Amino acid sequence: MSLVLPIPVVQCLQVVTIAGAAPGVSGLISKVEARLQGRAGPRVLQPYHDIRKLFRKEALAPDGSTWVFLAGPLIAMTCYLTVPLLIPVLTTFGLPLGYMGDILGGGFILSLASFMVAVSALDTGSPYAQLGASRAKTFGAITEPVILFVVFTVALVTGTDLPYALAATVRSSASQIVRPAHLLAAAALFMVILYETGRIPVETHTGTNEFGMIEEARPFEHSGPYFALLKWGSAMKQLILYTILLNVFVAPWGLAATPDAGSVLLAIVSLVGKAALLGVVVAVIDNSFAKLRLFKITEFVAAAFLLAVLGVFTLYLGGG
Amino acid sequence: MSGITAATVAAPSVLSGGANVIAVGVLLAEFGMFRQALLRDQVRLYAAQSALISVLAVVVAATRHLPDLYVLAVLSFALKVVIVPIVLRRLLRGIGLTGEDARWSDIAGSHALSLASTVLIAIAVAAFGFFSVAALGIRSPVLPTTALAVSVAVTLVAFMLMIVRRDVISQAIGFLSLENGVSLTALVVAAGMPLILEVAFLFDLLVVAVVFGLLIRVHHGRAESMSTADLTSLRG
Repeated sequence: MSLVLPIPVVQCLQVVTIAGAAPGVSGLISKVEARLQGRAGPRVLQPYHDIRKLFRKEALAPDGSTWVFLAGPLIAMTCYLTVPLLIPVLTTFGLPLGYMGDILGGGFILSLASFMVAVSALDTGSPYAQLGASRAKTFGAITEPVILFVVFTVALVTGTDLPYALAATVRSSASQIVRPAHLLAAAALFMVILYETGRIPVETHTGTNEFGMIEEARPFEHSGPYFALLKWGSAMKQLILYTILLNVFVAPWGLAATPDAGSVLLAIVSLVGKAALLGVVVAVIDNSFAKLRLFKITEFVAAAFLLAVLGVFTLYLGGG
Repeated sequence: MSGITAATVAAPSVLSGGANVIAVGVLLAEFGMFRQALLRDQVRLYAAQSALISVLAVVVAATRHLPDLYVLAVLSFALKVVIVPIVLRRLLRGIGLTGEDARWSDIAGSHALSLASTVLIAIAVAAFGFFSVAALGIRSPVLPTTALAVSVAVTLVAFMLMIVRRDVISQAIGFLSLENGVSLTALVVAAGMPLILEVAFLFDLLVVAVVFGLLIRVHHGRAESMSTADLTSLRG
């Protein structure tokens, strides 16, 4: 294990890991979900085949749509390729570009991606795509405060809001893990992730129930490579959010401490393994709860907000 | 992360962290009561909340060497987790707690406000509890101040529950869980309270449960519903 990788290679590997593993994690979740329902389910590698197939198809744009329609998926994909540079995907030490942005910076880039997808959906003039875009923005506005309070908790705990710092703090001792602020923030973040990735209490991930759709309704009018980018992008967004939850909050173990080829490889395997485990948990949740009515989503978000706010409260008296 | 010198909130020890987590669990159970839609689940949530308090009492007893608290934990578990829920369930058996008739077991629509706004107001009320404890500067030798603040928040949120839900069962459970908040406060402030006092409180609670059960039965017998909104016609 004496082969030491140059730092820029490790940095690129972060992006490649996220981009490469993301469809697989999505595939695993739908496989597990199907197995739990007693169906055979698609192959785990099915999303890769879907994306490959879509890349070979022709792209059509609706009449009257502008360049925004086609630019949306490209810009969104660029954003999803940028965020893995900022978060601890493989290493415990901050990589050079990792200090370009903190958690909020990453959040801004993710919001930009979702904004571009929403704008390109609006540009189509198709009612379902517009419905999805409008809903995604409406509910996005109420999940934003939850994320802010989670960031406040992180900032109070570590004195900074760099994700690397929180991961290091969590690793430092057991008392950092059992403190209520940490548990509450992690739980709130998990609920936000369920919302952001369109999982069950909020939205059915598969199927054609247009009236309940939020995120899934937006790419209705896209086709060919553009649709492939949107699908791939949404899988990447899911894995990015899982990585933030796992490598920053819940289980920041198994990351490489040195840019040594062996430990980086181990970090890739452990990240994929942890994400697969989390995916199984999400699939179980998908099968155990009913989808909330659209107007009940505020209750779900209010619960997440409650957890995040309580996290800050417990810190206020110095006991969190 | 060298070079970062900003003020941070240091982590409490594993013990106080764990105690705080249990206390926060009690508070979350209190918030959960806002949402429960069935009588049965409301009573179950109360039992779960009481069980958390017994666990906290055991933790304090074990770590602070207060053998009295073991007795208290066992007694409070027996009464609040086993007997009171059974008494309530028996008294409410005829009116749907067993789920024979869905009409009476459903208390979902008894909110005076929407659930999300209720939770937001309750967060504000809990915040008041937190900040007032901080302002009072009460310190406890056995448990961290955060647990005390949480217990005050539990008491205040229990009041909220009784105010915003217009069904008799939630109001009764609100009252009982208010007692849970008070006993959590007692545990934090004076872990070594005379056992006889605690026991007297616990048996009072049993009486309260019986009286509430009877009142709920009488109310249901007269009004044919679980809603207290029907009582407004009694105004002179």
